[in-house]
Amino acid sequence: MKRGIVSIVLVAILALIPCLPALAQDTGTITITMTGVSELSITLDPTEWPIGDVASNTEYETQPPIDWCTLTNTGNVNVNTFIVGEDAKWVDGAYKWTLSSDETNGEHIYGLWFRIHGDTARDYVPITKTESEFWPPSGVTGEEIGASDSKQFGLRLLTPTFFYAGRQMRTHVTISAVAAA
Amino acid sequence: MTRQIKYFIWIWFIAALIATAILLPSPILAQNFSVAPAEVKIENLSPGDEAEFELTIYNKDNISHTFILTAYNPEKSQRRPGRAELPDDGWINFSPQEVEVAASSDAKVKVEVAIPSNQEWAGKIWEIWLRVAPKDKDFLAVNYYIRLLVSTSGEVRSVSDIGLFAGIIAVLLLLGCGVYYFRCKTKPK
Repeated sequence: MKRGIVSIVLVAILALIPCLPALAQDTGTITITMTGVSELSITLDPTEWPIGDVASNTEYETQPPIDWCTLTNTGNVNVNTFIVGEDAKWVDGAYKWTLSSDETNGEHIYGLWFRIHGDTARDYVPITKTESEFWPPSGVTGEEIGASDSKQFGLRLLTPTFFYAGRQMRTHVTISAVAAA
Repeated sequence: MTRQIKYFIWIWFIAALIATAILLPSPILAQNFSVAPAEVKIENLSPGDEAEFELTIYNKDNISHTFILTAYNPEKSQRRPGRAELPDDGWINFSPQEVEVAASSDAKVKVEVAIPSNQEWAGKIWEIWLRVAPKDKDFLAVNYYIRLLVSTSGEVRSVSDIGLFAGIIAVLLLLGCGVYYFRCKTKPK
């Protein structure tokens, strides 16, 4: 009887041997690191540009042209920033102005640009529907926006060569921030 | 005379109140929110296994806002050196994916990272960004990207799980057979 029990226990141990790698793996360590109390936070002031009535094929600039808006890094990490635009939509329906991708306007196609104060390497930079570098410029390293630093910038709008009049249009420009590489 | 002085004091007080309301800058700074942490690093995650962590969204406005969370694969030039893009952003799960944060308050979002059980995903170093965007936007809006850095271990999880499962079944069968055998043997004929 006793011999039989010992035999079963031995066989059970032998059967469990293939499982040992799995049991051992349970003790493997997954490390999750969340860098201290790092916080992403930027503010924009102002956030609205009420242009009013516009004429076709005409340029409009924020006032003052390149100091209109202040972006401030109110977080505690250095950040890289990006900018992206979108089509302007009629607030009451499906009509829209398409945002230009090649810096030219057209019928129901409009253009948007930004210019950063102190950015001597670039003039007005087009804003498209593809996210692109706001600051620092593409290929520039070590010039990220530090904590408490700010950047001033302005916008330029080029209206379509032809559009349906009497319609209130609305669009958005989004600035994104990520911890600097 | 006293009545006149009192009248002028009241006029002055009301005028001062009106002037203050007009001249004070608006306390509302649209889209004023922040996110923490700015970066999360997960190391030694086995394919077939999953890890989770929390993001905190702070709404610093005096009205509530709703935020949407999505995964985003950045271009190579934006990633950390040596990191490839995560093959499938479906491996990232937000709970909840859309969160309303009350005025001057914060909310936590759970993020799960689950790598499929496949030897192909062992020993990899990836980067993906987690986007936090407000649902309602002014003309100028702010989004944040949290860098998620993931590296996988060389071992694949599920193969070992199958071995463990099979082993446990084998042991249970052996024990069952053993008990049955000895009960039959000890039964008086």
